[in-house]
Amino acid sequence: MNQAEIRKLIPAVRVAINAKHRKFSNPKGPEGRLTMLRKTVTELVKLERVELNYQRGDEARGYAERLIAMAIKHGDRHIPTMEMANYWLTEKQLVHKLFKVLAVRYKDHTESYTKLHKAPNIYPGFYRERVVLELKGNPFPPLEKKNSSHNWIHNILLEEAHQDYIRKKLKEGERSN
Amino acid sequence: MVMAVVAAAALRSSSTRLSRLLPGVCGEAWGHQARRGAVLRVLPFIPTQDPDVIKKMPEDFRAVYPEFLPGPKPEYRNRLREKLERQDMLARRSVMPIPEFYVGSIMAVTVADPNASGKNNRFVGICIQRGDAGLRAWFILRNVVDHQGVEIKYEMYSPLLQSIEVLRLEKRLDDELLYLRDALPIYSTFPLDMEPEVMQEGAPVPVNPIKVQLKPRPWHERWERKNLQGVMDLGLPERFYKKAKLHEKPWEKYDLMKEYRATIPEEEQADIFREISPHYPLMESTRRRGKRKRVLPSIS
Repeated sequence: MNQAEIRKLIPAVRVAINAKHRKFSNPKGPEGRLTMLRKTVTELVKLERVELNYQRGDEARGYAERLIAMAIKHGDRHIPTMEMANYWLTEKQLVHKLFKVLAVRYKDHTESYTKLHKAPNIYPGFYRERVVLELKGNPFPPLEKKNSSHNWIHNILLEEAHQDYIRKKLKEGERSN
Repeated sequence: MVMAVVAAAALRSSSTRLSRLLPGVCGEAWGHQARRGAVLRVLPFIPTQDPDVIKKMPEDFRAVYPEFLPGPKPEYRNRLREKLERQDMLARRSVMPIPEFYVGSIMAVTVADPNASGKNNRFVGICIQRGDAGLRAWFILRNVVDHQGVEIKYEMYSPLLQSIEVLRLEKRLDDELLYLRDALPIYSTFPLDMEPEVMQEGAPVPVNPIKVQLKPRPWHERWERKNLQGVMDLGLPERFYKKAKLHEKPWEKYDLMKEYRATIPEEEQADIFREISPHYPLMESTRRRGKRKRVLPSIS
């Protein structure tokens, strides 16, 4: 039976997710899986930038996105949201951060709240894909270089030609006056 | 459905022709082809540019017309099919109005039946379950006829259905009433000549807080594990409750992504509503007329 749940109205997650959850085999079963992801989400909210294996980073990303979206939509006066924040953030001062810092920071965002970068593998190792998961608008220097085309030779020449053209126009204007 | 078949054929022959036929349908982010072994990724939903589209969606849209929301499993989703199905559903509704009903409502359904006298068959019963989406949406009616429990599953958009009436519009404490199969027959016995009941216009749908007495075990399911609200004390030995405790999953309510994967996102629901909104006033007027019909006998 494939039927949508209608009891809750949930805003769309703004990142690509897997159609099915990753199981992350755990001796404590599905409960242990959530406990494990909870650590990652707490770290992410606390440090704003964490390095992880891809599978774990990608899975935790969805949970972090949903938590922030809930905090923005319902605010801190909504009991289910507060319970959820209380579960997902194991350090209680981070609950304050979620509602007073992150919800305010992302209030008018139209894109995702987190970013996932590829990171170099650990050598020697099992060559698992590594990623860096970060909250957008964090205080750290950016990870990705801005690829500016400003210093390309044809852009410099074009810029000079443009300046020449403007100077010429100004001279012509002076002469006609 | 004829239209859907034609469109599917067109899809196979040339996708460019189809995209010209139905602009804005084909180039969407959700159109996935499930390949064996490949991990299916669900791309973020791209809502329409209208920022107020969510505000325009009525609060009760998803509760009154749940079958207009597609099934949430991405491997079975197909935007084009869903859109065509909604068109067919609206076309069917314009011929045979489908009233608002919930699990727990008492309904009467008339079906075309070549073997019945008068060529049709009317059945009255309580709706115990409602399922699936789109043209495949169905509900199960249950009644006890001659001391024998009878359940009939009706497909809401089947062309064999001639009319659906709601005799008593109400909800129950649970989402499914499958436990009525193991309850005393009195709780699912309704007279076949039941009159439609009076209801105040504009009043909210009442919730019937009745608690049902179950028969002693054996049962169809282990009801002590289902956290049922609408049953009386089950009267089982302590070991059953201990076992039920072991099977509880209290962490599931915190699984944000599990919850998300089971729903259709708000923005997408709003888009679906926007798509059918030209037909919405008509749907609402039929819904209101259905309620008024129930009010009139009391006045006269």
